[in-house]
Amino acid sequence: MKFLDPRVHRVLDGEEPRESLDLALRRQVERLDQAAALLASSLEQASVADRVMTAIRRPAPAHTHRFIHWLVTPRAIVLRVRPAWSLALAAGLLAALLLPLPESRVALREGEGIAQFVARFPGAHSVAVVGSFNDWQPESTRLEDPDHDGVWGASVVLPAGAHEYMFVVDGERWIADPLAERFVQDDYGRENSVVLVQPARVSHL
Amino acid sequence: MRLQLLLLCLASPMAAQSVRARLEGRVPAEVIPTIDSLVQTAAAESLPAELLVQKAIEGGAKHVAPEYIVVAVRVNLDQLRRARNMLVDGGDKPPTTAEEVATLNTALKRGLAPPTVARIVEALPAEPRSAAFHAVADLVGHGFDQDSAADLILAAASMGLRGERLLDVADKAILELQSGRGYTEALGTVQSQLPQVSTTKVPDPSGQAVRPVQQAPRSRP
Repeated sequence: MKFLDPRVHRVLDGEEPRESLDLALRRQVERLDQAAALLASSLEQASVADRVMTAIRRPAPAHTHRFIHWLVTPRAIVLRVRPAWSLALAAGLLAALLLPLPESRVALREGEGIAQFVARFPGAHSVAVVGSFNDWQPESTRLEDPDHDGVWGASVVLPAGAHEYMFVVDGERWIADPLAERFVQDDYGRENSVVLVQPARVSHL
Repeated sequence: MRLQLLLLCLASPMAAQSVRARLEGRVPAEVIPTIDSLVQTAAAESLPAELLVQKAIEGGAKHVAPEYIVVAVRVNLDQLRRARNMLVDGGDKPPTTAEEVATLNTALKRGLAPPTVARIVEALPAEPRSAAFHAVADLVGHGFDQDSAADLILAAASMGLRGERLLDVADKAILELQSGRGYTEALGTVQSQLPQVSTTKVPDPSGQAVRPVQQAPRSRP
């Protein structure tokens, strides 16, 4: 490593005039000035050129890459909400959770109503309701017991009027609804339960 | 006119074919022609023939012996005729609707007596009587005598109650009976409350206060 003469240092720092140096040191100062000027000039040119050439040569990123980059780049989101609106939103969510659902969200046609079948068969593996409304086919209308407490239920859209029905438990036991309010002889030596379905929009049977 | 006749001629065999197709595989094959004949007879008399088809299918699903299925269908045809005749005798001019015949047939099976039917038809000559039939049948099914039950329901109808409101009146009388009152007292209590009658439903096994078989959404006037 080559050290500068302290007198050169002082001249470069502007502490002494160049004329105070001898000829050899003065030339050394001039070379250093030229080197400094050249360095500053080349740095400035390289910076501009590099930036331009980089922008020209860089391939455009794919859409997926840009999308992923957009997704993973952290961004600051500023949400300005008035307290009154926040409270109203919270009250609305609470009401939606607590209020009961409408009685029926099924689209009913004229002259139709909903019959809700409920029965308690603990230990049963399957329960179906059969009747004049489904050609007495046990596969047609199955009751459900989602919480496995033995209480089975189903809601069925039926034409208004009287319908005879029975429950079929585990695919083989035919049982009249023990909680039904109405029964009729089935003409085969047993009883059918009867449900009266009211039309949803008309007040008369 | 010719077109109507042509359609009528075509419709009858097509309906017969449809009935046989529905019965096949669900009813023993040897009785299908007999049942089909009974169904066609009912249709020709403007009776609700679908009930006979259903009765046959019900017998097949319950694995009833073939001859009993035929008997049941034949008995039901006679019952439908009787119900239709009761409506006509009560003052209805034919043709009575198939729906009303079917409703009355069910009410008769539940114990409604012919004189009571005649009273109801006479009191409500030109409107749907299904609810009145079933309301009286509900009371009769719980041991009320026919005349007293008809008195209560017709009194409610005379005050303007119709449809499910009539069934509510019967429900209320049954609840009064189940709470320990006698038959006469229960009817008197409900009659004194007319036309404002409210019922408390029987709790179902899941603990919800609804009817065991809940009826369709109500449409109160």
